[in-house]
Amino acid sequence: MKQTVQMQAIQNKMKPGVIVRDGFLGTEARNLVDMLTEDEGEVTRLGLTHQGIARRMIALRDGGTAGLGEFIDVPPHFEVRVDSVRGRLPCPFGDPGIFPKTNATVRNTLKGREITYTDLHIHMIGSHGFYEGRGSQFRLEPRELAEVLEVRPAETE
Amino acid sequence: MTAWSTVGPLAVLFGAIFTNNILLTNYLGMCSFLAISREVKSAVGLGVAVTFVMTMTNALNWPIYYYILVPLDLTYLGFIVYIIVIAGSVQLVEMIIERVSEPLYMTLGIFLPLITVNCAVFGAILFMFIRTYTFIASVAYGLGGGLGWALAIVAMSGIRQKIAKAKLPKGLEGPGITLITAGIMALAFMGFSGMIPAN
Amino acid sequence: MISASAFLIGVGVATAIAAALAVVMVIADATIANYGEVKLSVNGGTKEFTVKGGQPLLSTLMGEGIFIPSACGGRGSCGLCRVTIDSGAGELAPTELPWINEADRNKSVRLSCQVKVKRDMAIRIPEELFSIREYRTEVLSIRDLTYDIKEVTLRLKEPAEISLSAGKYIQFVVPAYERTPDPVYRAYSVSSGPSSKGTVELEIRLVPNGICTTYVFNYLKVGDPVTINGPYGDFYLRESDRDIIFIAGGSGMAPIKSMLLDMAEKGSTRTATYFFGARAVRDLFLVEEMKGFEKKLPGFKFVPALSNPQPEDKWEGETGLITEVLDRHYQTLDHHEAYLCGSPGMIDASIKVLKAKGLPEELIFFDKFA
Repeated sequence: MKQTVQMQAIQNKMKPGVIVRDGFLGTEARNLVDMLTEDEGEVTRLGLTHQGIARRMIALRDGGTAGLGEFIDVPPHFEVRVDSVRGRLPCPFGDPGIFPKTNATVRNTLKGREITYTDLHIHMIGSHGFYEGRGSQFRLEPRELAEVLEVRPAETE
Repeated sequence: MTAWSTVGPLAVLFGAIFTNNILLTNYLGMCSFLAISREVKSAVGLGVAVTFVMTMTNALNWPIYYYILVPLDLTYLGFIVYIIVIAGSVQLVEMIIERVSEPLYMTLGIFLPLITVNCAVFGAILFMFIRTYTFIASVAYGLGGGLGWALAIVAMSGIRQKIAKAKLPKGLEGPGITLITAGIMALAFMGFSGMIPAN
Repeated sequence: MISASAFLIGVGVATAIAAALAVVMVIADATIANYGEVKLSVNGGTKEFTVKGGQPLLSTLMGEGIFIPSACGGRGSCGLCRVTIDSGAGELAPTELPWINEADRNKSVRLSCQVKVKRDMAIRIPEELFSIREYRTEVLSIRDLTYDIKEVTLRLKEPAEISLSAGKYIQFVVPAYERTPDPVYRAYSVSSGPSSKGTVELEIRLVPNGICTTYVFNYLKVGDPVTINGPYGDFYLRESDRDIIFIAGGSGMAPIKSMLLDMAEKGSTRTATYFFGARAVRDLFLVEEMKGFEKKLPGFKFVPALSNPQPEDKWEGETGLITEVLDRHYQTLDHHEAYLCGSPGMIDASIKVLKAKGLPEELIFFDKFA
């Protein structure tokens, strides 16, 4: 599907070497709009929202901060490690604010699976519904996020 | 020799704006019309750019055709030459806009160079030859055609800004309602016919 | 079929018309698109430049040796290059809107990477920025400190000397290489002491998917040219007789090491303790250097604390999180000041412990990574 000039500019910022070494697009040949639409559909099928997933990612990350770079137990059955390096990264979508390079590794001890994500991922998912392109080493599959982090459907607050 | 049209330049000018509006009567120049008519500010900017280009290309192509192409029997080169002149004029307009107002330049984006392939500009050139306008009349036609196109796009953007908040049936949003609006505007402009003696 | 002469005339005419237009374009480009020279006045006339117009303010200033902070290299993505423009700025560009709010607009604050210098301008920038310079250097050595941290020493070529105080950081310019189409800037703390004016030493930790660290770890070689600019930052050692508490782990050690070198130079006798948090023995580095400082500085003690020592480490030193170690070490902090460098999480947690023990906030200095 054709996309606007603005979307194309955003997609250009996601290419390798502009913000991060390998970029955010993976091996995708599709337009950004199509990637977002497909992931949006997947998230809706799971009965969730982008914000709901992001909220869960934040909750687990905050639980893990107390570990000061070491794995710490987060109830009910998670182990989370949060560390960071100097510097910040801008969001490719161009909204104001740049994001600390903080990594959170969440281990679901019950399911025996683990997922790693950064603060930038939390923002891109929560505010833009962007999970990175297929083939990207750092892509977060909505289904996997939902299962490993145990995101509750349509959390209302 | 050419049988020059006897229509006066002023009649041509006002005719091109109202009764013979190149967009609403001849349906030329629709793509940028649909794309840039969302905001009044950018619509005015693009309208001015198109007017400048149309006037300039008419003013340049008329002498080139009648004083170079016809005498040298090169009328077959017509289309190529018109396009070259259009491209050059658009480049000039781009440079001027970038200099004068950078935000406008960025808002118009790709649609500025797209004036080159705007069929309204090309149409204005062809009409001026088909209707055998004199030089003054041709320039007036270019000016009027541009102003008419600008009038249509500014009116459309004003309407779209107003209906942006309206609740529309899902299928009609975007291009749907825009084309319907264009059609109604065209009907409205038909009301002008008879205002100016036929040209 | 047209005759040859008619064909040639046709081609000739079309070419002539195109050529004539091209000439018009060239003239237009030289006049309309050319902004000529404009005057740039900085800080009410403290510095005045005559520059070629048409370029963004950020790069124009860089060309005159004034470095406005920027993390994204002028692409409008970081919002750090804010400058107050008193006159000559022109309309706000759409790309500035996310960063410039109502209050900024009232104070004439603009994003210098998005404002083009088209006419005479008067701008105001913080005084500190005048001491920031660009340095051309050469890689003197690259040494592995741990499995993911390298020590890179740069020899300054032009200018040949840099004057910085301990605790500052510089911006490393990653040139366009295989992975990046445009140069990129990344910040690293300086670990060498202020007295080694001809060299700059950095501790660089490999970051997954990092543009700069991939460059440093996979491409950079001894002898390669490197451009840096700086110094930046307001993290420095205060002159006083209070006992010092240093807290930093991983590449956060860099500014602390710089401070220790400075203290050793000046023969400081202050009591100082450096709490270095790491996971296991393989994350420890420069331990010998730290022991050396213990000898040179009578009041200094190095306290490494491992949060997850492996059995093969046979570790007999402090264990646990750095906050726990701090807690064990101190009862009340009534004659101390603290310097912390590292991740926001570690710093926030450590500050809580320090404050709980009575250390006032004004005496806690930190350099947060983010």
